[in-house]
Amino acid sequence: MEEQEEHADPPYILIWIVLLVLTLAEVGMSLYMNVPKFWLGLGLILMAVWKAVLVAMYYMHLRYEPARLWILAISPLPLAFILVLAVISEF
Amino acid sequence: MSTTTAMETHTGTAEHHELSFIRKYIFSTDHKMIAKQFLFGGLMFLALGGALAVMIRWQLGFPGRPLPMPLRILFPDTMAPGGIILPEFYNSLVTMHATFMVFFALMPLMAGVFGNLLIPLQIGAEDMAFPRINMASFWIMPVAGFIMLASFFVEGGAAGAGWTSYAPLSTSGEWTGVYMGQILWLVSLIILGFSSILGALNYVSTVINMRAPGMTWFRIPLATWSIFITAWLLLLAIPILTGGLLLLLFDQTIGTAFFRPEGSGEPLLWQHIFWFFGHPEVYILIVPAMGFVSEVIACRSRKPIFGYHSMVVAMVSIGFLGWVVWGHHMFQSGMNPLLGMTFVVTTVVIAVPSAIKTFNWMGTLWRGNIHFDTPLLHAVAFVALFIIGGLSGIFMASAPVDIYIHDTYFIVAHLHYVLVGGSLFGIFAGITFWYPKMFGRMMNEGLGKVHFALSFLFYNMAFFPMHNLGVQGMMRRIYDPNQYEFLQGLQPLNTFISISIFCFAATQILFAFNFLWSLRAGKVAGNNPWKSNTLLWTTPSPPPHGNFPEMPTVYRGPYEYSHPDREEDYWPQDEPPATTGSGGETVTTPTPELVPGG
Amino acid sequence: MSDAAVTTMDRKPMPGMMVYNKKLGMWVFLLSEVMFFTSLIGTYVILRFAHPDHWTDPGVVLNVPLTAVNTFLLICSSVTMVKAFASIQQGNQKGLQMWLLATILIGATFVGVQAIEYNALLGEGFGPVLDLYHAVGRGNPHEGPSLGGPLYGATFYAMTGFHGAHVTIGVLCLIFVYIRSLRGAYTQDSLEGVEVIGLYWHFVDLVWILLFTIVYLI
Repeated sequence: MEEQEEHADPPYILIWIVLLVLTLAEVGMSLYMNVPKFWLGLGLILMAVWKAVLVAMYYMHLRYEPARLWILAISPLPLAFILVLAVISEF
Repeated sequence: MSTTTAMETHTGTAEHHELSFIRKYIFSTDHKMIAKQFLFGGLMFLALGGALAVMIRWQLGFPGRPLPMPLRILFPDTMAPGGIILPEFYNSLVTMHATFMVFFALMPLMAGVFGNLLIPLQIGAEDMAFPRINMASFWIMPVAGFIMLASFFVEGGAAGAGWTSYAPLSTSGEWTGVYMGQILWLVSLIILGFSSILGALNYVSTVINMRAPGMTWFRIPLATWSIFITAWLLLLAIPILTGGLLLLLFDQTIGTAFFRPEGSGEPLLWQHIFWFFGHPEVYILIVPAMGFVSEVIACRSRKPIFGYHSMVVAMVSIGFLGWVVWGHHMFQSGMNPLLGMTFVVTTVVIAVPSAIKTFNWMGTLWRGNIHFDTPLLHAVAFVALFIIGGLSGIFMASAPVDIYIHDTYFIVAHLHYVLVGGSLFGIFAGITFWYPKMFGRMMNEGLGKVHFALSFLFYNMAFFPMHNLGVQGMMRRIYDPNQYEFLQGLQPLNTFISISIFCFAATQILFAFNFLWSLRAGKVAGNNPWKSNTLLWTTPSPPPHGNFPEMPTVYRGPYEYSHPDREEDYWPQDEPPATTGSGGETVTTPTPELVPGG
Repeated sequence: MSDAAVTTMDRKPMPGMMVYNKKLGMWVFLLSEVMFFTSLIGTYVILRFAHPDHWTDPGVVLNVPLTAVNTFLLICSSVTMVKAFASIQQGNQKGLQMWLLATILIGATFVGVQAIEYNALLGEGFGPVLDLYHAVGRGNPHEGPSLGGPLYGATFYAMTGFHGAHVTIGVLCLIFVYIRSLRGAYTQDSLEGVEVIGLYWHFVDLVWILLFTIVYLI
């Protein structure tokens, strides 16, 4: 039981290489660069999110699924942010 | 290429192999049997929760007096020596009363029973999307329930830190005297969470993917809508609780300090985690009842529901807004006042969709051809009592007012108005309305009306005065208010409330008797004794395995009652617009709504 | 869709999410998992905000290079999983079995490395328990000063421990799927089981990608 798959195979290996490069960049930035904490945190989070999005889009196939599915998939994220941001304001 | 699985057409039950007793009644994957299992379990725990309430009220109504015989001999000296309830046991009573009621009675009755019973039948499906996961979802509950019950019998007794289990009271047994019991409480709820999550994912998937042709989103009956929204709340809120419970369990057992101040832990974090779950939880406990009430009021008034679309939008709004009001449970916690102010605003806003629903129910009743049968009576009582509960909520929404009434009996009054006046009467409406479909027989009307009237009377006699108690300063969870001189004058009121509760509890025997007696001796119900429009009522009572002989087609919404073009005052959803093909088969010309993609 | 009359036998349910039930079910389940990890990761973020002195600079206590390799391994296992699914999409049974086995072995290795890492950390005094916390850091003598605080340990083990538990469950499910594949249970037309376990596995990888960054590198 498949849904429409009239697309070429996703570039799995290319994505793998990008993930590898980003991982090395992250480790490098964290251990070997002298970056102020804020920019370090921001840069690392951006790279991590980039990797996560790649995995979701290509390995979990979201790029090729109906739009309603990825809308469903991201629905809990606002809740996560609300919880964390609201409680951080306590401290 | 097809996008979905076509349902195999069942040509009746003759084709199905006969299941063994165990596969049919114990380990069943049929959603209707699972609904009955949840009903049996939920009602048992409701009775237990009620018994615990009776004990609480005994202490408050007749403080320090020994329990009457035969209750006196049931309790060991660690709980009630000589029949006199100990303060530590009282703490366990208030904790466990709420725990059993919320987690083992209301949630199974709301989501477990009616989610399972209504969804496939109302959307025209043969069963849930994942029947075996459904079965697992049920069986987790008795396991968790057993552990929770067992906690009464361990040394130190059952959990005594409130159903909210605030740290640091709950992280150590130093102050409650409860050690193992608190751990078992956590373990039980962690396990129970899986039941909710599995059930929720089943409901969400089934409603999205298994609606019969023509059942567009805005033709779904409000009962199914309400459970669909509730399922989303369960799916996303319960895991947060589970995470928090696990961390609290580690604090209690292996000595971490997530919430323990002595290790730089943050007790306030526990409150935030708990209430981030806890607020959606209360909507989980009321939204399904709103759905049942909509069905009953429309059907028994013989009128379309007033504002069907706004009913849906209101429930969805409640679902969304319910995530951003949790701080109103914490106004007095020492939280950041600016954050608190934000919660005041969001809490006041969330009253609006509930109010819209209330006006819509009233608009439905207005000038309706109302049949005052038992389901309708319970449904109207829901509306009235929910209004009272909602109004007290407006007071509590204001943080400055809450300074005065937080943790008093005003809060207890509010929560019981929405959970008993609201949820429980909603459940009674649901049970009395759908009993014929579940069991093939009608419940006794006369007895039902007596049960309703006495319940309504005793309920209000018991809980309305609690608003008064709270404003006069009586605090929650207190064993002996008479230790404070300023509260001593409230004893007569407390005694009055206790007696009202005892009468309320005794009245429920009528319901139990009606329920059991009607199973065998009730009037045989046909397919559609209430003349309702939903697909559920097109099936036999009770429906066979597979529900529908063939997949129904839906032509209209569920609330076409008293339509001017019709002779009958109802118009079932699956009745075709009157065309028959030459070969005798029903030929349906696709209307735009029937074409997939919509 | 033609506008000729549709007979009753042709009827299908409404299109809904436009993916098959099992796939929708797995996605819906994963949403609950997102919320579960939110509670754990949220606790970490909040506690770190409240008590930053409990944390050290990256790499002082935790073994970043080893875990970076472990991260790479887990990413590789996502690739093998994807190859397994691509195999059965083409009806290649042997390919399916081979790539599933590779995923299992790499997944098990990941858990193994984590276990070894836990052992080393506990030996260096870095643990979750308040009263036992005395983290001397990597390569330091046992009598050295305690670095960071117990919240560091507690949140570390909570987040990575539950993630590891999810990986373990994933490996067990993959073994189940692998055994079924040896019996020819999956074909080009019946590969739902492979796809849904794949979704779970990628999700576990995705969570680790985020965890690795915020736990080890920040």
